[in-house]
Amino acid sequence: MFLRILGKSILKRKSRIAIAVVSVLIGASVATALLTVSLDVSEKVSLEFRKYGANLLIVPHSDTIEVGFPGVEFGSVTEQRYINESDIWKIKAIYWRNNVMGFAPFLYQVVTARSDQAEQRIVLAGTYFNRTIHIQSPYAPQDPTTFTTGVQIISPWWHIKGDWIHDQNDTSSCMVGAAVAEKLNLSVGDTISVTYTEQYGSTANTSAYNFTVVGIIMTDGYEDNQIFVNLQVAQEISQRPGKLHTIQVSALCNACPVETFADEIKELIPYVDGRSVKQLVNAEMDILGKIQNMMFLVTIVALIASALGVMTTMITSVIERQKEIGLMKSVGAENRKIISLFLSEATIIGVIGGIIGYLVGLILAQLIGLSVFSLSITPRFEIIPIAIGISVGVALLASILPVRRAVSVEPAIVLRGE
Amino acid sequence: MDESIIRLQAIKKYYDESTHVLEDLNLIIHKGAWTSIMGPSGSGKTTLLNIIGCLDSATAGTVFINGTEITKLNQTQLTRFRRENIGLIFQQYHLVPYLTALENVMLAQYYHGVIDEGKAIEALKKVGLEHRLDHIPSHLSGGEQQRVCIARALINEPKILLADEPTGNLDQKNGEIVLDLIKQLHAEGHTIILVTHNPEIAKLGQRIITVIDGKICSDSTCTSEINET
Repeated sequence: MFLRILGKSILKRKSRIAIAVVSVLIGASVATALLTVSLDVSEKVSLEFRKYGANLLIVPHSDTIEVGFPGVEFGSVTEQRYINESDIWKIKAIYWRNNVMGFAPFLYQVVTARSDQAEQRIVLAGTYFNRTIHIQSPYAPQDPTTFTTGVQIISPWWHIKGDWIHDQNDTSSCMVGAAVAEKLNLSVGDTISVTYTEQYGSTANTSAYNFTVVGIIMTDGYEDNQIFVNLQVAQEISQRPGKLHTIQVSALCNACPVETFADEIKELIPYVDGRSVKQLVNAEMDILGKIQNMMFLVTIVALIASALGVMTTMITSVIERQKEIGLMKSVGAENRKIISLFLSEATIIGVIGGIIGYLVGLILAQLIGLSVFSLSITPRFEIIPIAIGISVGVALLASILPVRRAVSVEPAIVLRGE
Repeated sequence: MDESIIRLQAIKKYYDESTHVLEDLNLIIHKGAWTSIMGPSGSGKTTLLNIIGCLDSATAGTVFINGTEITKLNQTQLTRFRRENIGLIFQQYHLVPYLTALENVMLAQYYHGVIDEGKAIEALKKVGLEHRLDHIPSHLSGGEQQRVCIARALINEPKILLADEPTGNLDQKNGEIVLDLIKQLHAEGHTIILVTHNPEIAKLGQRIITVIDGKICSDSTCTSEINET
């Protein structure tokens, strides 16, 4: 009987219910749209940030002495340490492995570079450009056992004149920074001579190599002052086979700080430290935080407006139905029956408004994504219960005053004829 | 042996300091009696009916119905007492507009906690509406709507029937049908209290009470004394 009363009461007042549903729908669609955009854009903005380079630097652990001023350290007091290249696969075997977008090892050496026209002492960096590594012991059995990574993956924003070094076994090619190219007057296709002198007590061992410049790197950063070669070439020049100075890691994770990755990596490679690239991480967190705060505020405002719409509609409905409520009470309806009737109506309004609001919200999300962020937004089905839950919550909250008013209707009203 | 079913003692009803609707009103109504209440508009007869019907509370005084002092009951207890003891017949019928005749009768059953569709159909048959079960109020004539209202009032077998101008909105033919039904209910033993402006209808009762300015006046004599049939 309750369902009959509820169903017919709703059908009888279709237009009134429709207005309430539209009110809920507006709030639900804004909440859905902004939640979808917020979640999706967070990931995509993070992904965009990843294009601007690594956000985590792995270095060998070194002991330091504090000199008395907070934050000022004396520097390494132990011998120069290296990371073993044979451990590099472990970065892709941590718990958050799927969020490691890429990494690139670096071994640096100061060398003398000579072209036909000039000579300069320059930092030579050996790295992976685009190399497939073997993951010796994956974190989970179903994980892939290979991973393609390198500086080309983690720094796609580098402007290259010429080409990258594609062959990971290429020992005769190099890429030079724009500043190096300018100082040594180099162009793509030119040859450069590199010499490195290792001092052993009173004796010196000098080795010389010739490279063909295949690409000129323009980053407006320190890379402009370096020469890049395949890692094994740098290891051979500096006679440090299998050794690395640093690993730059590009980690993507909205749910965890980048320090989490550092801790995870340290567990597998205990002799390293992880240092987040604070400037990049802070900028990223700052922008994402601002986007989310703005969306949260807009959602709250939309939901308040929505609740006010539902409340106004339901109060009007209660006023219109005063005699009906009085009659129900006069024939024996207790207050809880009246309350359950109105709250059930509110729940139905919330569910319908939530479902339609979700669908409208998806369209809205696409419009926001395309017009504001120039990104296509991926629909998220996990938001459906959230949208319905928020809508029902808003409808029920908005019903508190109307229900109080309905409960206060006196049954005598039906006899008074007011 | 006291056969009174309704006993009002020193009832006062004030809406505010200057609006005194009932003044020290005393009344005893016996079980199975038909009492007609007359009086000009604003005299307090509807307020008196509301207090007897547990729809309104007195400002002062005590009300006993069927042995229960209802002036001591809270709102929820009053609602329960009303649905178990009192049937209400309204001048405006007051049917739920979106429910059928049958559902309007079953509504009273639902709030009473016992839904019996067969019994509801029987009640509508008793008032001659077995062919109108599935009609909504707007598809029924005034007389038919009033008969649905009577069927609803009867469905929980109340001991007391309160009727507020039950024929006020009906033509003569439909009015007679409704009055015949009320006569039949009285004959079956129901206690009837009927408010009317029509002296001919009032005469159908065994007792006529006239309320003027919140006091009971009978045989043109205003009194605050307890009246007994």
